[in-house]
Amino acid sequence: MITVRITPGDKVLTFDRLNTVLQLLNKLGLGMSDALVARDGVLLTPDRKLRRGDELTVRVVVSRG
Amino acid sequence: MKCSRCRDVAEIALPSHHAGFCRPCFLEYFSRQVDKAVRHHRMFGRGDRILVALSGGKDSLALFRELRHQGYDATGLFVDLAIPGSSDAARAAVEGFCASLDAPLIVADMAAEGLPIPLVKERVKRPICSVCGKVKRHYFNRIALERGFTVLATGHNLDDEVGRLFANVLRWDAAYLSDTGPALPAESGFARKVKPLCRLTEFETAAYCFFRDIPHHSAACPYSGGASFTKRKQLMNGLEKESPGSKQAFYEGFLERARHAFAALEQEQGVSLAPCVECGCPTSAGLCGVCRLRKQVGEGDPR
Repeated sequence: MITVRITPGDKVLTFDRLNTVLQLLNKLGLGMSDALVARDGVLLTPDRKLRRGDELTVRVVVSRG
Repeated sequence: MKCSRCRDVAEIALPSHHAGFCRPCFLEYFSRQVDKAVRHHRMFGRGDRILVALSGGKDSLALFRELRHQGYDATGLFVDLAIPGSSDAARAAVEGFCASLDAPLIVADMAAEGLPIPLVKERVKRPICSVCGKVKRHYFNRIALERGFTVLATGHNLDDEVGRLFANVLRWDAAYLSDTGPALPAESGFARKVKPLCRLTEFETAAYCFFRDIPHHSAACPYSGGASFTKRKQLMNGLEKESPGSKQAFYEGFLERARHAFAALEQEQGVSLAPCVECGCPTSAGLCGVCRLRKQVGEGDPR
């Protein structure tokens, strides 16, 4: 299980199976430059592999005024 | 992905530059992009007093942090719009950040000026984002001039600039196209205005805030729902995804090859400006837009 906290909004989602950050972004309908994805305080590029038990933060960066 | 400079593990991928960077190399890249914009567009020098408009968002705080880091004489300016559920949090973010940098901050309080945005919204029947923008720009300019700053800097990034350019091209708005660009000279009662983040995307400024641990205000303005600029950004982001680098090419191409034509047209056909009879700020209408707005709000006259 991979847990993803999406900010702003603080929405939490879980995924049973995700291999890479790019897959996560695609599942969330986000482009590579739409959000920062972090694990343990480190940013992950789209090619990085995800592991079972990962707790990720997705920070959407597009400002909305 | 490996860092393009040092081959360490990259934390950020930048397809438009065919590059990836680790944290230290990204921060170096960011500083260089700001420095390149400042030098290329002759924005300011070491002797300038720079007033930086701070909204509490990632872009303006990143800009302020970077200019202070590079040793510039930068003072923050926050315009408190008195919007419930937004302005207090933004002001707290700005005040906390300036205190952490031990940096000077000026706060302009729109409630004290008789222009709290909720009241303006109630009394004026025009789109509030455009009226609010006018109020902010008025106070940015006025405070810069009255307090003796030589430059007014804003945190507009490449996405903001491309979004604005795209909108103005769609309308072929010659007046706005003539003054699109990252550096506008001081003239006719306007302070010199610069946008040192014009080479950086909002993804990059967000990464900078993450790496520098800058706590910023990220909630959307409660009045901005349905604002057209977010839709334009989405369109441009879709184009960038298909063709990395297209935003930069669109913007830089306009500045190099088209802007001068619109500037010449505006010089020939544009309206002439004179000081507002009340506040002295430049206007084409005797009484400037903000003084008219203040009267309108004070009189409770919805238009």
